[in-house]
Amino acid sequence: MSTRLLAAPTAEQQLLLDTSERFIEDTLPVSKVREIAEGAPGPDGAYFETAGSLGWFGLLVDEAHGGGSASDNGLLDAAAVAAERGARLQPGPFVGTNVVASALSRAGAPFGKLLARLIAGQARATWVAGAARGLTPGAGEITARAETGGYVLDGEVRHVQEVADCEALLVTARGPAGLLQAVVATDAPGIEVRPLDGIDITRRTGAVRLDGARVGADAVVGAPGSDTEALFDRQAQIAAVLVCAEAVGTLHRDFELALEHAKVRIAFGRPIGSFQAIKHLLADTSLTLEMAKGLVAAAAEALGADAANGGELAHAAKAFVGERGIDVTHACFQVFGGIGYTWEHDHHLYMRRLAADAVAFGAPQWHRARLADRIGVA
Amino acid sequence: MAGTANTPEVPAAGSAEVTAAAPAEVQTEVQTEVPVAPAPPDGETPERFRARARAWLAANLEPANPSARGFRESAVSDVAPERALHRRLFDAGFAGITWPREYGGQGLGPEYERAFAEEARAYRLPDFGIVGGTTFRVCAPTMLAHGSPAFLRRHIPRILAGQELVVQFFSEPDAGSDLAGVRTQAVREDGRWVLNGSKIWSSGAYYADYGLCLARTDWDVPKHRGLTWFAVPVGASGVTVRRIRQINGGSQFCQEFFDDVALTDDDIVGEVNNGWTVAQTMLIFERGGGIGPGGGSSAPKGIAADLVELARSVGRLDDPAVRDEIVGVHVNDVARRALVARLGGLMRADPASAAHVASYAKLAMGTYDPLRANAALRIGGADAVSWPVGEEGRTAAAFLDGRFMAIAGGTNEMQRNGIGERVLGLPREPSFDSGRPFRDVLRDASTWTGRVPAAPPSEGRA
Repeated sequence: MSTRLLAAPTAEQQLLLDTSERFIEDTLPVSKVREIAEGAPGPDGAYFETAGSLGWFGLLVDEAHGGGSASDNGLLDAAAVAAERGARLQPGPFVGTNVVASALSRAGAPFGKLLARLIAGQARATWVAGAARGLTPGAGEITARAETGGYVLDGEVRHVQEVADCEALLVTARGPAGLLQAVVATDAPGIEVRPLDGIDITRRTGAVRLDGARVGADAVVGAPGSDTEALFDRQAQIAAVLVCAEAVGTLHRDFELALEHAKVRIAFGRPIGSFQAIKHLLADTSLTLEMAKGLVAAAAEALGADAANGGELAHAAKAFVGERGIDVTHACFQVFGGIGYTWEHDHHLYMRRLAADAVAFGAPQWHRARLADRIGVA
Repeated sequence: MAGTANTPEVPAAGSAEVTAAAPAEVQTEVQTEVPVAPAPPDGETPERFRARARAWLAANLEPANPSARGFRESAVSDVAPERALHRRLFDAGFAGITWPREYGGQGLGPEYERAFAEEARAYRLPDFGIVGGTTFRVCAPTMLAHGSPAFLRRHIPRILAGQELVVQFFSEPDAGSDLAGVRTQAVREDGRWVLNGSKIWSSGAYYADYGLCLARTDWDVPKHRGLTWFAVPVGASGVTVRRIRQINGGSQFCQEFFDDVALTDDDIVGEVNNGWTVAQTMLIFERGGGIGPGGGSSAPKGIAADLVELARSVGRLDDPAVRDEIVGVHVNDVARRALVARLGGLMRADPASAAHVASYAKLAMGTYDPLRANAALRIGGADAVSWPVGEEGRTAAAFLDGRFMAIAGGTNEMQRNGIGERVLGLPREPSFDSGRPFRDVLRDASTWTGRVPAAPPSEGRA
């Protein structure tokens, strides 16, 4: 089942992946995810603390702040872990926690305590961006009003992936001096998180409402204005790479199930995979999947190494995986035929997640628009 | 019986440009002189070799001119100076650096070849156009793998001396994807072989000296088992080469007609009726020529620069729909480059899978090249389909060539079969022809009913 996002992992990366895969299979295999999807409680604190001990939440954090990676490129390591998570439909704010941890690591000292808890898996966090910079149109926006010693935040943002058991949120708000980001605790006064129903029943999506919530100046991450815009774009790119990596793992497993089905399902006296109509569909689908893996790995590698084209590759990855991932899951559905339309077959869990992941942290259109901005720029 | 199967294709009159069969230089006589290359000096090292190459190159070759047009495949006369240039390399001991000494090569390791390539980068080397690749990277390596020592002693030194250019006589008008279904036949008569039939899509055959020809030598066995390879002199009596006029106006591809061409056992590559083994070797060299690991390293900068330039030239660069079209192409471009880089990693990790995994790169070209050409046509709009007299019409030309990789060198469908069966492990199609005499296969195919012919009674049945 290994997705093999990395064509040639190092020994240290392979160890991280092997232990991660074993941990998931032992504690939260897809059969248990299905129980969560049908109403059982989500993963408990022990799940996240074990994940933290494996290194899942410190990969994008400087060693000086308690982080560490398997290779010299933590984003590539995180993407490889994300793919194995996605293949097994792991719930929990892996993407959000890593995006927030990365931002806090760059911001430095004031957030040391929260960062340590995130790295250890003792706390989860995610990024609440809403419609800021057009990322998720119609999702709502937060505004920040200055007051002595800090800001007052108001507004509501919907469609926040995996917000349910987050202890902290990195909130992007429109402030008096332009874009502003601040860390808020979900149990602070004036903050309400309520669940939303959604197509992806393996994740717990919600809305965040801020009603006169106060944050001190020491909770602000980065300088408001153009600095924060640059941070925002980098967060969006990191989130894009990681959510794409999870989605590629999801695609990998959905495809693997379709492939197995094509080999064992008999019709007209033959396994259906011997028919070119099915074989060629699967070959084309596997080409798309290989391209998606290559692109996500390339984006993680470049962005994680701060290469000049890292951002462009991240946007391209989200555009490609977001759009073509839907094609892949449709092709798998077609191969499954009627069985894919049943609740008890796992396919719909994968298909649901891919639809949600496609729009999480910016739909393909937003990422394409960022690339369009780069047209003609040398 | 099976008369239709044995009859060579008759060319449709007037359907294509007909040219002289072959250049006069190879038509007159088959030369028999075998050139001899100097041996490398005793105690040769890569460093000494490099120094020797550097000095010789500086004294003997012209500097490369990047702006000069390469060998023009439309002019047969252009090939003579290229042959002479290759002969000078051969006489100086710089041709076939890694090829065996007994066949005119230098017998040195790949590090010597790399050293020469690095030193020679700044110089103008012989350019045989598309036939150069076919000769040196596909046909000669296939010969070396399967030819008899006597055959190799006759041909390989002459190839290395620029005296023999070799093309493939492989596909036929009636056999493309199904290469083992070729119908050109060689019949044994009075100690000789008599060749009849037709081959097609042989690039540059009109200026080549030999064609490696796959012919049927036994009709009464299954198709893969009755095939034999022959080295056919392009100038031999009974060989007619016709250049095919392509949809882009060019004519590098050829069709050949064989009309009682006389061959001998000496012309055979490999063993009689074991030609399919040789063919598989050739296909591996052919694939290896096109797609190498690391092809993703030279990523162009920016967003689809050629399409941006096109949009600007037609005044549509500010059109949001055009910009989104360009972005769509760019996303596919970077995904394709990332794929090739990934495939390189997969191949290095598992060399045994390389030949099959390479099908992804081929299918990506065959799938996305046409989409890209179509996008360019949309961006160019009316200016892409009509232009001032005398201009090139490059977008239209690229559109006409857009499906090239979807068909040439193994269609998209063949790549999908290869990926499906050999990478994904899907079960094979039922085969209607692999276990029966090819003669019967062709007879029954003409009255196809969709029913699998009854299997012959199994042994021991009363």
